[in-house]
Amino acid sequence: MSRPIQSVEFTFNGEKFFAIPGQSIAAALFQANQHILRKTRMEGEERSIFCGIGICWDCVVTVNGIINQRSCLIEVQDGMVVKS
Amino acid sequence: MIAIIGAGPAGLAAAATAAQRGESVILIDSASQLGGQYWRHLPSNWSDDRSLHYNFDKAQKYFDLILNYPNITRYSNAHVWQAEKIDDKFHLYLIKDGIEEKIVAEKVILATGAYDRSLPFPGWTYPGVMTPGAAQGMLKSHGVLVGKKIVIAGTGPFLLPVAAGLAECGAEIVGLFEANSPLRWTLNLHGLLLNPGKILEAIYYFKKLRKFGIRIQYGKVVEEATRTSVIVDGKVISCDVVAVGWGFVPDLSLAGILGAKLKVDRDGTVLVRVDSNQETSIPGLFAAGESTGIGGSTLALIEGEIAAGAKKTFARWRAQVFAQGLQRVYPVSAKWQNNIQGQTIICRCEEVTQEEIRASIDELGAENGRTAKLFTRAGMGLCQGRVCSRNVSEIVASHTRRKVADSELIAGAGRPMAGPISLGELGDGLGKKF
Amino acid sequence: MKNPDAIVIGAGIVGASCALALTNAGLKVLVLDRGPVAGGTTGAGEGNILVSDKDPGPELVLALRSRDLWFEMQADVGDTFELEAKGGVVVARKDDTLLKEFATKQRGAGVVADEVDAQGLHELEPHLTREINSGIHYPQDAQCQPMLAAAQILRAVRARGGEVVTGASVTSILTSAGRITGVISSRGKYSVPVVVNATGTWAGEIAQLAGSHLPIAPRKGFILVSAPAPHLIHHKVYDSDYVANVASGNADLQTSTVVEGTRSGTILIGASRQIIGFDGSMNIDILRRLAAQATSLFPILRDIQLLRAYRGFRPYAPDHLPVVGEDSIVAGLWHSAGHEGAGIGLAPGSAHLIAQQITGKTPFMDPTPFSPRRFQEGAA
Repeated sequence: MSRPIQSVEFTFNGEKFFAIPGQSIAAALFQANQHILRKTRMEGEERSIFCGIGICWDCVVTVNGIINQRSCLIEVQDGMVVKS
Repeated sequence: MIAIIGAGPAGLAAAATAAQRGESVILIDSASQLGGQYWRHLPSNWSDDRSLHYNFDKAQKYFDLILNYPNITRYSNAHVWQAEKIDDKFHLYLIKDGIEEKIVAEKVILATGAYDRSLPFPGWTYPGVMTPGAAQGMLKSHGVLVGKKIVIAGTGPFLLPVAAGLAECGAEIVGLFEANSPLRWTLNLHGLLLNPGKILEAIYYFKKLRKFGIRIQYGKVVEEATRTSVIVDGKVISCDVVAVGWGFVPDLSLAGILGAKLKVDRDGTVLVRVDSNQETSIPGLFAAGESTGIGGSTLALIEGEIAAGAKKTFARWRAQVFAQGLQRVYPVSAKWQNNIQGQTIICRCEEVTQEEIRASIDELGAENGRTAKLFTRAGMGLCQGRVCSRNVSEIVASHTRRKVADSELIAGAGRPMAGPISLGELGDGLGKKF
Repeated sequence: MKNPDAIVIGAGIVGASCALALTNAGLKVLVLDRGPVAGGTTGAGEGNILVSDKDPGPELVLALRSRDLWFEMQADVGDTFELEAKGGVVVARKDDTLLKEFATKQRGAGVVADEVDAQGLHELEPHLTREINSGIHYPQDAQCQPMLAAAQILRAVRARGGEVVTGASVTSILTSAGRITGVISSRGKYSVPVVVNATGTWAGEIAQLAGSHLPIAPRKGFILVSAPAPHLIHHKVYDSDYVANVASGNADLQTSTVVEGTRSGTILIGASRQIIGFDGSMNIDILRRLAAQATSLFPILRDIQLLRAYRGFRPYAPDHLPVVGEDSIVAGLWHSAGHEGAGIGLAPGSAHLIAQQITGKTPFMDPTPFSPRRFQEGAA
């Protein structure tokens, strides 16, 4: 598979990550081997993607201060600040 | 004006057919790319490689048609959250780029597709456990392999292309487990005879699997997942991803909101009722694709065309025979409950366990799924029951020694909103009217 | 249960509270409901236990006692329904004169109502808009999870010898010489001298079955439920329009702003009132109005998603006071209905009033203002 050279940069819990333009936040994190996306609000259990298509809402993260954003759907924009 | 919601095979076929007939079409989809789930692909500015797809030419043909017809307006990245029928028109409320807009159309075709059906099992909430759709979506749309050593399990023909695609991109498929016996294909011979193309498709995938040395093991299920392995038939298999799926479930939120009559299929799947023209019980509201019966892209394309006015009765019939036959080949037994424990989470969003659901029955007197859900919050989280609703109903039914009533299944498929809207977007009101 | 001492019709919060009070007083109680537990208005309630929104008068006396009884119920039944003395904050959007006057009157009746300035408000609610700088803090306001409360209370009733039968439609109420003698339901026939009508919005139907009448009608309301957003809103917060609307007889749509968090992390937003019969259909314009009002109080809510919206029908009587007491046409028929949006808060107080009167004890307050007699004088 050929890939374009440019990439976009974002942070996840303060750490820097890169994404190919068009990739979702979850995809970019998976690419960098970051599978754990959040901890559940009641039991604090780790979660990652589950359905991958925006149905299950397990992959939610906070994007630029907005909570409950589905990381499997949202395309990375340069400078995005993503948190668990 | 015709509004088509969903740009997967059914929606694309409907849009192309309608546009060909000179109609004004608005094609609405929540994704940025055309294709829905079936025809997920890498962005074109990235790669034109479509080798992961079986017969992608058809998809490309539709993409080109959509982009070239001047009477099709594309509305991508648009989430429909509400809808109403007022007099003879449909008012569709959607969010695009943080602004709420309304589209008014005389005819609406719902082509919102389906999602993987999931059954709980011990450890299914650990990172690394996902649906086959998730593994495939990551690969096809984003070029990312979800793991290096992957177990694929569940039931259904969908497991094959997922395994093949992941193997093609370098994953080691350390186990491919189909719960049902292949001998069950004798129950769909007439389906195969009417649709010989399916045999070619099967051969294509079996060849791929053989190329990568992947052997399908039949009659086995994943009993439990740990953080680093799964247990199948008592044996521990080391892996970093396990993709489990049990067929598909259509998303009927919009159909329910608009008041279309729903029905329960033989296998318990809730569907929209349509007539031979793909029209629902609401005049002017049509449905095509998975929501009228799970049948893959072949059936979806035909239904999309019919919904837009084409006559393809025989083609639809023979595709339906195959699709209904698949239910006999790949049934999902209610016995999945034998595999779960008290501590197994049933509602992932609200972290509700089987124990808590049973307690709501034993201690609090819940007698049906709806009450159990109100007491435990199962189904009340972000996904609004899309993943757990049927499973909760089945647990309550077996614990109270009853069958799940059709009315309960139908109620579980409905919800007051079809998609997310923020309180700010809602309060700000309509930004644009079409 | 062959011969109960009392049958309570209605397994919502009002019926459950009555059943508990009667059971604790030594009666054998049978609870019947045509649907499931909390299947009616209780299932659509927010869980409000308020003194802040009540005018001095009998309803406030009932509310104050009832609020304390909630905590007694918690001690009795167990901490199993998320009861929290979280307190209420009422804000004045513009002129706070009326609000302050109202609070002064309430203080005279035993309500704790502390005036709060801009700084105090923002200590209580950090995300409240800075455009508001005056409010009243009511520390006595509380909240619970109403469905769990009804279910847990009924569980205690069962554990103490009572019985609960759901899916039992009452088809006949038998009387003889103007007195209750029995009940026929789809799941059993019973001989009983006392029936408590706790059917809320449908109380008029039950009254009719017994040969009496009660003018209880539905007042529709919507609630928005947000996606989980914990720790944003700490009290029940509402604007002072709420009080005027509750007391209004206006049938047209009335909305006021009510916002509160829940234990589970979601935020509930209300409130709308409409007299529109039992029309349960969705109304997008009302949802918009409620959302806009809520975000005007708490701008941070703008980015929080709406998870779902649902509606319920509050039971109300023409004079907006609950109906609690013995029917004047049919002896042995007691009503606890028409609590209009305050059913949860007033449930245990109403239950005690009824139990005290049934068992011949002195009621903790003069029950006359709530008596069904006020609608039944001069009736045949």
